Amino acid sequence: MSHLDGDHILLTGGTGFLGQALLEKVLSSYPTTRVTLLIRRRGSSSGTDRLRTLLKRPVFNTWREAVGAEAAAAAVAERVSVIDGELGSTEVTLPDDLSAVIHAASTVSFDPPIDDAFRTNVQGVVDLYDAVARTGTTPHIVHVSTAYVAGARKGVVPERSLDHDAVWRTELAAARAARDSVEWDSRRPGVLRRALADARKDHGKSGPQSTAAAAEERRVEWVEKQLVEYGRLRAQSLGWPDVYTFTKALGERVAEEKLTGAMPLSVVRPAIVESSLRYPFPGWIDGFKMADPLILAYGRGILPEFPGLPDGVLDVIPVDIVVNATLAVAATPPPVDEPAYYHVGSGSRNPLTFRGIHDSVREYFTEHPMPDGGRGQIKVPVWTFPGAKRVERMLRTGEKALSVAQKALLSAPANTRTRHWQDDLTKQKDKLDFLRKYSELYGVYTEAEVIYTDSKLLALHRALPAERTEEHGFDAAVIDWHHYLQEVHYPAITATMRKATAGRRTSSSALPPLKHAPNGGVIAVFDLEGTIVASNVIETYLLAKLCDLPRAGWPAELADLVRRMPRYLAAERRDRGEFLRTFVRRYEGADEAGLARLVKHHLGDALLRRSHPEAIRQVRKHRAAGHRTVLITGTVDVLVQPIAGLFDEVVASRLHVRDGRFSGFLESPPLVGEARAAWLRRYAETVGADLTESYGYGDSYSDRPLLEAVGHPVAVNPDPHLYRHAKSRRWPVAHWKAYTLPVGDAFVETAL
Amino acid sequence: MSRPGFVLEVDERTPALLMHEGEGFRLEKLPLGSRVIYPPESLPGLRDLDARIRHALANPLGREPLHELLRPGMRLTIVFDDLSIPLPPMRTPDIRQRIIEQVLELAAAKGVDDVELIAGNALHRRMTPAELKRTVGERVFRSFFPRHLRNHDAEDKANLTEIGQTRHGEVVEINRRAAESDLIVYVNVSLTAMSGGPKSVSVGLASYRSLKHHHNVHTLRHSKSFNDPPNSAMHHSYNRMAGLLDESVNIFQIETTVNNDTFPDYVGFLNKREWEWNLKDQASYLAVKRANDLAPPKQRRQIWHRTAAPYGVTSVTAGDPIQVHEVTTRHVLRQQLTEVDGPADIGIFGLPYICPYNVNSIMNPILVMSLGLGYFFNLYRGQPIVRPGGVAIYYHPVRNEFHPVHHPSYIDFFEEVLAETTDPVAIETKFEEQFATDPWYIHLYRNSYAYHGVHPLYMWYWGAHAMEHLGDVIFVGGNRKTTERMGFRSASTLDDALEMARERVGRSPSINYLHAPPLTMADVR
Repeated sequence: MSHLDGDHILLTGGTGFLGQALLEKVLSSYPTTRVTLLIRRRGSSSGTDRLRTLLKRPVFNTWREAVGAEAAAAAVAERVSVIDGELGSTEVTLPDDLSAVIHAASTVSFDPPIDDAFRTNVQGVVDLYDAVARTGTTPHIVHVSTAYVAGARKGVVPERSLDHDAVWRTELAAARAARDSVEWDSRRPGVLRRALADARKDHGKSGPQSTAAAAEERRVEWVEKQLVEYGRLRAQSLGWPDVYTFTKALGERVAEEKLTGAMPLSVVRPAIVESSLRYPFPGWIDGFKMADPLILAYGRGILPEFPGLPDGVLDVIPVDIVVNATLAVAATPPPVDEPAYYHVGSGSRNPLTFRGIHDSVREYFTEHPMPDGGRGQIKVPVWTFPGAKRVERMLRTGEKALSVAQKALLSAPANTRTRHWQDDLTKQKDKLDFLRKYSELYGVYTEAEVIYTDSKLLALHRALPAERTEEHGFDAAVIDWHHYLQEVHYPAITATMRKATAGRRTSSSALPPLKHAPNGGVIAVFDLEGTIVASNVIETYLLAKLCDLPRAGWPAELADLVRRMPRYLAAERRDRGEFLRTFVRRYEGADEAGLARLVKHHLGDALLRRSHPEAIRQVRKHRAAGHRTVLITGTVDVLVQPIAGLFDEVVASRLHVRDGRFSGFLESPPLVGEARAAWLRRYAETVGADLTESYGYGDSYSDRPLLEAVGHPVAVNPDPHLYRHAKSRRWPVAHWKAYTLPVGDAFVETAL
Repeated sequence: MSRPGFVLEVDERTPALLMHEGEGFRLEKLPLGSRVIYPPESLPGLRDLDARIRHALANPLGREPLHELLRPGMRLTIVFDDLSIPLPPMRTPDIRQRIIEQVLELAAAKGVDDVELIAGNALHRRMTPAELKRTVGERVFRSFFPRHLRNHDAEDKANLTEIGQTRHGEVVEINRRAAESDLIVYVNVSLTAMSGGPKSVSVGLASYRSLKHHHNVHTLRHSKSFNDPPNSAMHHSYNRMAGLLDESVNIFQIETTVNNDTFPDYVGFLNKREWEWNLKDQASYLAVKRANDLAPPKQRRQIWHRTAAPYGVTSVTAGDPIQVHEVTTRHVLRQQLTEVDGPADIGIFGLPYICPYNVNSIMNPILVMSLGLGYFFNLYRGQPIVRPGGVAIYYHPVRNEFHPVHHPSYIDFFEEVLAETTDPVAIETKFEEQFATDPWYIHLYRNSYAYHGVHPLYMWYWGAHAMEHLGDVIFVGGNRKTTERMGFRSASTLDDALEMARERVGRSPSINYLHAPPLTMADVR
C-alpha cells in the first residue's frame, strides 16, 4: 500500500457530496498528493469558478482553520488543478502523469429521464475511460458505483462482477433514441388533443395565447414524464428497481469491458451514504441524502405510515468511512486483468433495521421535537408497518378523495371559508405527493432483504498499519448506531429545518408597498367587477332595468332574465367575451340619453353601495403615489361613470348606438382575458410606463394574463382558480369585503 | 300641567331602569345611591298648529309681518333645516312643510315669482328626492323640485359668496342665491339648545372655509357646553358671524320647538318613568324587547329607522333671529332642563340608534363616539354630570359597520387616521386639510350622497371637550376592536365597567345616569 505519496489523482464528481469529502481528505491528510478535478462549466461559471465556490463550502472549514487560510490557499494553488470541459468532446486532454483516477461523478436523482441517466452514468463512463486511454498511460481506475447495482434480489450479494446479461451498447442506443421517439409521440394528435383540452379547461377564459402556452407546457411535461417511465420500466423489466441502479450497473460493465487487461480497475460500491461520523467534523452533510427527507418528514409529523419491512435492513454508511475506503482502494491497485470489487456498507456486519431506525427517529423527535411555528411542538406519529399493499391503498384512497374535493372546491363560490379549505387541501396534497414520491422511489430500498458482504473491504482495512486505522480506517463495525443517529446524524439534518419551522408562520397577503413615482412611469391597473365593486354585469343591468321600468313591468323582466340565465351562464363558462356579447343584447332599443340620466340620478350610488371601500382607498393611494390608475372592465362605459373620476384611463365596453338608441351590439370586441394584457402592454409603451414596476388587481382567473403582465400583481377576493394560482406564485391575496352593502340592501336603497 | 324633571336616587324599591343601547334597549339595575336624571314630562303640544303658524307669521318679533315683507319681483329664498333634526324624524306632515306651505301661500298672494327652496345641509350629505319630499310635502316638492328645491352645495364655488370677515378674522361665506336674495325665510326645528338662532344661516348655508373657524378643536374645548350658548365659544363665533350677516342680508327666522313625545305609542313605555309602567307597558316592553332581540340586525335597523316620532310642537315663533331664538331656547329648556346637585365620579349614558348623521343610514363607530362624547356628554349647563377625571360609561354595541355611500371618508378616517392617532389636535394638524380638500370626497359630496370629506374629523372634534375632561371612557357591550381603535375600553356588563372605573375613581364612586332619550339636559350646580 503506497498511501498515494507523490501521486497525481484525477477526480470526477468533485462538486458532489462524496467528491467534496474526497477532495478534503486528500488536501488535509495526503500532503504530497496532487489532484486534478474534471469540472464541467455550468451556465456562466467556468470550472475554475466552480472550484473557487467549492472551496468555500463548510467541508473545508476544519482543514482551513487547522492550517490557516494562507497555507490552505497555497496548498490549493500548488496541488489542485482544474480541467474545464465536457467529457465526450475530443478537446479534453487529460494529464499524462496520472497514477489514479477516481470516477465519482453520477446523476443525483433516482428517477431522471432515461436519456439523462444514460448520458451521465453510461456515456460518461465511456468518454472518461476513452480519454484516459488516449493519454497512453495506465493509471489505477477507481470506479465509484453503488451497492444497489445488484438489482432487486434477496439474500447475500458478494463482492464481485455483476451477474446479468444486459448489453450496454444496445441499451445506450435505445435510451438515446428514446427522446426523439417520445418527442415524435408527443406531437401525435391524440396527445396534443388531450393537452389542448386540459389547457382549455383551465385557461380557456384567459384567451388563445395562454391556452396554447399551457398546452405546450403540458406536452413538455408529458415528454419528461414518459422518459422517466421509459427509464423506470426498462430498469424494472431487467431486474433493477430504478434507472439509477440500472445505469450504474451498465457503467460497471463498461469499465470492465474497456479496462480489463489494459489498466487496473477497482469498483467501489457504497450503500446509502449519509452524514460523516467524524471527518471533517461529526455530522457534516451536503444537502439532504436519500433517507433524510423521510426522517425530516417524520419529524414534521407528515409521515403517518411507510411501506417498509420492520426487519428490513437500511444500509447506511457515513461518508467519511466511504472516503477512507475509496482512498485506501486507490492506493491498492489490483492486477490489470483482475478487477477488484468492494462493498462499503454496514448491512453485513453492523446492520441497522428499519424498525430500529423508526424507534431511533421516534426517540430523537420525542426528545427533541421540531418547533411548530409558535404553536408549541410537532407531535410525531407511530408507525405500525402495515405493509406495502395497505400503504398503497391508503395513498390511493387519499389521492382520490383529495382530487374530488379539490375539483369540487374549484367550482364552489369564492369566500374566506372555501379559500381556507383550499389551503388545507393543498397542504394535504403536498403531503400525499411527498409520500407517493418516496414510497415509489424508496420502496425497494426499505423493503430490501439483501445483505452486501464486505469481507474484501474488511481485509483491506485490516491491512492498514495500526497507526493509520484511527484516521484512515473504514470498518463499519465501529459505528455505534445510537450515538451516530442521535448525536450526529439527526442533529445535522434537522438543524436547518429547525430554523425554518421555528419562526411564526406569516401569510403572504401583505400588499406590496407603493413606491412614489411622480412622472407616471408606473401603472396601477384594476379590474372592476369583484375587485372594486361586488356587483356583476347582470346585477348592474337588472338594477338599471328595474329603476327604469314601472313596478308592473318587473315580474315580466325578471321572468325573462331567469329564463335566459342558463344560456348566459353557459356562455360565461365558455368565454367571458361571448357572455358579454350575448348579454348586451338586452340593451337593444334602450335610449342612450335615458340610460345616462338613470346612471346620474339612481345607479351611480348603486355602484358605490356595492363598492369595496378598501379597493377605492387602494386606487386613491396609487394616485397619491403618482401612479397612473387604469380601469379595465367589460361593463358598459356609461355604467362605470360614477367611479370614472378615480382613474386616469377607463377602458370599458361601448354599446353601438343607432339614432340615439342602443342596437344591442358592442362597438368593438370586449377586452377580456389576454386582450387586456395586450392592451396594457401597448398602453404602457404609449405612455412610457414600466410594467415591471407596475401594479395589477384582479379577482378572476381570466385576469391572470393581465396580472402576469405587471411586476406587482394582487389577487383580490380571488375565485378558486385564481386563488390556487396566486398561492403557487406567492402573489399577495387581498380580501376586500368590509363595509360593502349586500346586494339586497343595495337593491332596496336604489330601486324602491 | 306636566311634571318637572327630577333626579331619582336609586334605593331598594327602584326597579331596573331603561337603558338605550343602539338598536335595542335593556333594563339595568343601578347601584344603590346612583342618581338618575329624568327630563320634565312631555309638554302638551300646540293645538290648531296651522293657526299658530299663521299667527306667528302675522305677529313676528322685531320684524314687520311676513306678508308686508313680500312684494312682486323680489327674490325670496326659503331655507330649512335638513334631515339631521329632529331625531327621530317627525311624523308627516313635518312642521317645516306646514310652515313652508303658508309662507308660499303668502308669497303667491303677493305675486312673488322668484322663489327658491334650499336645504341648509352645510357639509352634511345631500337629501335624496324622497327625503326632500317627506320634509317639504308632496305639493311643494312637485312644484319646485328639482330646479327650485335644492340642497345647499358647499363646494359649488360659483354659487358661494364671501360676505366678509368678523373682527376675529372669521370668513363668512354662504350660499350665493341666499346671500343675494331680498329676503331669506329660515324654517327651523330646534331640538336642542344648541341649534337655531345665529347658527341657522351662518352654518347651514356655509362652506368649509367658513365652518373651520368654529368647527375646530380649540373652539370645541372652550364650549362648555355647546348646548349652553352663553358659555360656548362656538356660539360666540356664530354670533359674530350672524352679526356680520345681519348687516347685509335680511333674515326672517321662523323657529319651532317640539315636546318629548319621542317614541310612538307601541313603544310608549320608552317615554315613561319605569315605576309608572302599567301592565300594558310591561307587556309591550317584554314583547318588543324579545322581538327586537330576535330580529336580524339589518331588519332591526330598518324598523327603527322607519319609526317616526309623534312630536307635539310646543312653540312657533317668527321674526328677528335674535329675539326669536331667545323665546325658542326658553321652550327647549322648559322641556329638557333638570336641576342636578353636582357632578359624580361616574356618568352613565345609554346611546340610542340614531344621531344627526345616520338618518336612513348606519350608525358607525365614529358617529357613536360623537353621539356619546359629543352630544350626550354636552347635554349640560354649568358643569358636566361627571367630574373632571371621572369616568363615562356608555351603552352601545359599537359595531364595525359603515355606510359605503353616506360615509366614505369615515371609513378611511377610521382605518387610516385612528390607527395612527386619536388625539384631536394631532388629527386636526395633520389630516384636516387633506380630508377637506380631497377631490374624490368632494366629488362624492357633490354628486353622490356622501358627507363631506372633513365631516368625520368634525365628529372627532365634537368629542374633544369630553376627551379632555374624562379620565376614562368605557362602552358596555361595545365591540372590542372598534372601541379600542378609538382609544376607549369595552366591558361586557355594567358590573365589569364599574369595576374598571373604580381603578380610576376609587372604591365607592358616586354615579349620575342621564336618562335619555327623550332628551334630558342636566343643569348641574
